[in-house]
Amino acid sequence: MSTVRQAVLRLPFSFGARRWRASPFLVSLALAPMAVILLLVVAMLWISLQKGVFGTASAIYTLENYREVLSDPFLLHALRNTAIFTLSTVFFALVLGLPIAWLTERTTIPGKTLIYALMTLGLLIPGIYTAMGWTLIAHPRIGILNRWLVDLLGLAEGPINIATPVGMGFVQGMSLAALVFILTAQMFRAMNPSLEEAAKVHGLNLGRTLWRITLPLALPGILAAVIYITTIGIATFDIPAILGLGNRVYMLSTFLYIKVHPPGSGLPEYGISGAMGAFMVILAIFLTCWYGQVLRQGHRFEVITGKGYRPALIELGRWTMLGWGFIALYALISKLLPLLLIAYAAFTPYFAPPSFEMFGKLSTVHFSNMDWDLVLRGLKNTGILVLVVPLVVLLFGFSISWLVVRSRSRSRYLLEFGAFLPHALPEVIMAIGALMLSLFVIGNVVPLYGSVYLIAIVYVVARLAFATRAINGSLLQIHKELEEAAFVAGLSTFRTAWRVLLPLIWPTLVSVWIWTALLVYRELTVAVFLGVQDNITLPAVIWSYWYGGGINKASAVTLLMTLVLTPMILAVWWVGRRSQVPGQ
Amino acid sequence: MISIRHLAKEFPVSGGRVAALKGLDLEVAEGEFFVIVGASGSGKTTLLRCVAGLEAPDGGEIRIAGRVVSSDKPPVWVASQQRQLGMVFQSYAVWPHLTVYENVALPLAEGEQRAPRREVSSRAREALRLVQLEELADRSATLLSGGQQQRVALARAIAVNPRILLMDEPLSNLDARLREEVRGKIRDLSKQLGSTVLYVTHDQVEAMAMADKIALMQAGELLQVGLPMELYHHPARPEVAEFFGLVNWVEGRMVQPALAETAVGAIEIKGSQAPGSQVLLGFRPESLSPVSTPPAGARNVLSGVLRSSTFLGDQFLYDVMIRDHLFVGKGRLIPSNGDGNVCFYVDPREVMVFPAKKKISGRFDERGI
Ligand SMILES: Nc1ncnc2c1ncn2[C@@H]1O[C@H](COP(=O)(O)OP(=O)(O)OP(=O)(O)O)[C@@H](O)[C@H]1O
Ligand SMILES: [Mg+2]
Repeated sequence: MSTVRQAVLRLPFSFGARRWRASPFLVSLALAPMAVILLLVVAMLWISLQKGVFGTASAIYTLENYREVLSDPFLLHALRNTAIFTLSTVFFALVLGLPIAWLTERTTIPGKTLIYALMTLGLLIPGIYTAMGWTLIAHPRIGILNRWLVDLLGLAEGPINIATPVGMGFVQGMSLAALVFILTAQMFRAMNPSLEEAAKVHGLNLGRTLWRITLPLALPGILAAVIYITTIGIATFDIPAILGLGNRVYMLSTFLYIKVHPPGSGLPEYGISGAMGAFMVILAIFLTCWYGQVLRQGHRFEVITGKGYRPALIELGRWTMLGWGFIALYALISKLLPLLLIAYAAFTPYFAPPSFEMFGKLSTVHFSNMDWDLVLRGLKNTGILVLVVPLVVLLFGFSISWLVVRSRSRSRYLLEFGAFLPHALPEVIMAIGALMLSLFVIGNVVPLYGSVYLIAIVYVVARLAFATRAINGSLLQIHKELEEAAFVAGLSTFRTAWRVLLPLIWPTLVSVWIWTALLVYRELTVAVFLGVQDNITLPAVIWSYWYGGGINKASAVTLLMTLVLTPMILAVWWVGRRSQVPGQ
Repeated sequence: MISIRHLAKEFPVSGGRVAALKGLDLEVAEGEFFVIVGASGSGKTTLLRCVAGLEAPDGGEIRIAGRVVSSDKPPVWVASQQRQLGMVFQSYAVWPHLTVYENVALPLAEGEQRAPRREVSSRAREALRLVQLEELADRSATLLSGGQQQRVALARAIAVNPRILLMDEPLSNLDARLREEVRGKIRDLSKQLGSTVLYVTHDQVEAMAMADKIALMQAGELLQVGLPMELYHHPARPEVAEFFGLVNWVEGRMVQPALAETAVGAIEIKGSQAPGSQVLLGFRPESLSPVSTPPAGARNVLSGVLRSSTFLGDQFLYDVMIRDHLFVGKGRLIPSNGDGNVCFYVDPREVMVFPAKKKISGRFDERGI
């Protein structure tokens, strides 16, 4: 009897109480990313409390930085811009994304697979493309639309300005509409249609059913989407940078950027940016907690659906055309038109509205004049990142998920929190933290500053939240006894993972790998904050051309980048057809 | 109260259409507890949803209390809201953002069949009292057990004093013990209120226990409509007999108007058949009554060898081999003559007779009780 019990206790990987030491390797794998994140935040906070030469004896510890931030009138201005920008982002993302989600999930609109493909793949087309394209469309000076309107109406200057907080919100909103679609489509699908039918049978008319049943049930889902979008909006860098920096319209994120990379001969103000970052961390954590709470509220409403479950779809009839018209218009203005204009700009010697004259001047001059040294270096760095980051993310993500899903120990809450942290932290904050960490904390020990591996580390922790969520989901579907059977049969922890678990969740791992690779490939924020000569990435090359006024050269590099992007997106689509695409 | 003529409904599926209802006729009298029973996919839910106005039929006519609510010629359509129904959904569909009380009161306060404002509260509470949920009135609906949610759904359905109560497998999400208890309560309540009930289930025991009248449905058609006893003892077709329990089948040929020659011996039947015709005889396990000593030359006596038995608690189910035919018997004791040989008598009144058309397959499929 006692020998039996001992044998059970000696299972190589049983996560009952007090069995943590059973696999220190796995545990340290899971804890490492958490440590990195904490280190980034702590480094930033530490710098924010100093004046003088950081980290040396001459540094003075003070709250002066915080005082300066709070009394900076320019910051107030950036704050106001950010608020307007975020509000318009939320507005446009909802107005575009919500109807498409509703159409797809609750009506008889044809071509749903196509809509799903359009919207999920749309998420992969970088927001900077849309931003660049829309600069070419609606910039007050060079924008095609403005030029046409000026000619047509005889105006003195272009009437539309995309480089305003509202205009940038419009572009960001178009980008995030795909995300709203994915978040709310899930909600519409999970909503039990018999709840509405019950209202109908018991005498509530359509208006009252929508008002008393459908809307209250959808509200938590919509609110959650709004908070999520807001969290992204207040800290997003790439679109405000492309549209606003050149025109001196600053958001919090771009303001932070010029604090650490001042134009001209200004000196970086690390202490101040650290203090600003601290405020943003507080705001972001608050929003993320709120998001989690609203989401739980929404799950409360999910009723178990019996086997009688069958979605009752609303007959669209002659409104079908209108529905598809809306979707097509969205695809056109958010993706197709910007891409076409970028392609056009890449082949014109200077940017001007399309005309016979301009078509006569098309050439490949920007491709031959390009600084190929720089572009190839960008390509090489981006290549390293795309090869290394997704694999490391998978390794860490799998370890964390396995512990979180299977462990019964209380320590798993710590892990879960660690996996959730990067979700709360905006990329700009991680970038600032990494900058300070590499410059002032570990600079003398490990020369990470200016290295592509510094960017890689930040990417890994930033993408981990997404990966663990997806892997959690698919691990939860695998019955625990499948692993236990392997342990009892004498397989080691490692072998159990390799021979039993990995083959079972293979499709999820593949799709996480591809998504991570794609998001890494197109990432701009961290790359720009941490980029110097040697570790510049391909998107950062585009950015530096664009920021330097070389619109056409930037377009040419963008086109090159798209050549690689397209097959990757097709791969996502191909894998996604066969397995569930992990939700964001 | 409900009268259905030639009701037809098709669904588009990938690569064609599937007919869920094939020109079905049905008559439900006022105050009747009418149960529709049938295998999964036979179209029960579709029928109920057509009556509720949640699904538009492709053809046929539905009348409720004499009024046409749905018809193809001339086209008539009365919206679900106007049909004055109460319905209990299989998933209960209890609105999760409202309290128990609000769930019941919402149709009363804002529905087409709304009550005068000052009566809303008293009627909602009365409905909750009938299902014994008064104490939980202010509880959020999401914090209820399955059985309680089921009762909220029932209270909501009866609160509006509907002309007809529709129920789609309301018990299938409850566990077995609770199911038996609630079964009786629902029937009592409906009788107390005098409601006309159209009740759908796939469980033949539930159907027998609750129904005034049963309709057996198969592949979009009604096989037989009648009293529970009729369907059990006098099924119109072998399929009906099989649906309501185990049957021992044996083929035979009529040698006299009331006597058939079969592989297990001569069997006398009740009624008369044309001599010389091929017949299919069937009798239920409980019709095999053990007899100790077979009187020589007696009719309807089968003797065979006991093969195995299953203890069910209140009785035994056993297999008997009678001249190469495996039969199933049922009783409080295992019959035994000491040497394993057993004899049975089958009452002619309990033999079901059908013209032999096709072989019945799957004789021992349903090892039910
Ligand atoms: N919305 C629909 N779309 C396509 N086919 C449907 C739809 N609703 C029902 N059917 C089909 O019609 C037939 C009858 O379905 P129905 O739901 O009425 O069966 P049921 O008797 O209620 O079965 P169960 O006991 O499993 O609930 C089935 O073949 C089903 O697949
Ligand atoms: Mg059904």
